[in-house]
Amino acid sequence: MGGFFDTVGGLFMISGALFALLAGIGVHKFRDPYSRMHAAAKSPTLGLVLVAIGAGLVARSLGAVLTLVLVVVLQLLTSPVATHLAARAVHMRVRVPQDGPDELEVDESR
Amino acid sequence: MNTAALVIVACAAVLFILRMLRGPALADRVISSDGFISTVVIAVTIASVRADSGVVEGTVLVVALGGFVGTAVLARFIERRGS
Repeated sequence: MGGFFDTVGGLFMISGALFALLAGIGVHKFRDPYSRMHAAAKSPTLGLVLVAIGAGLVARSLGAVLTLVLVVVLQLLTSPVATHLAARAVHMRVRVPQDGPDELEVDESR
Repeated sequence: MNTAALVIVACAAVLFILRMLRGPALADRVISSDGFISTVVIAVTIASVRADSGVVEGTVLVVALGGFVGTAVLARFIERRGS
């Protein structure tokens, strides 16, 4: 039974690691700060949730599971806030080349 | 299996560091450092299972909190100073 939990936990951890790799590829390949932010913010959070589930399945102790739950809740709360702050800074200070008219600027000048 | 996951996370970290080195704007470096910290959190979580001790899990919390504060401070810095 223990071996079964170890295997499932390992599979969860590998899929979470793959989401982190996806984020790395996105940040490396995308062409402007907004799309890079989109890659860097969301998929590592899902990756961390999957890795924490896997780690809980492998560790199987109350202290470890409580700490992992705390880590996941903390990441789910802080990651959107940090990304929002970064997006605000980019909008205020960085000129991003746009395909068409800048819709945010059009809205603000109204 | 843990080792395979760690290798995948290491590849992701290398990609984040490459973007951090290339820029071009300061904001890109801040964004990729934010993603890099998330990747480090994932790596330390996997490493805590590998080490099989309760000590390492506290480190994950500290890294996650430090990463959030760092990104917030850098974002404020960009707003004040410009790109």
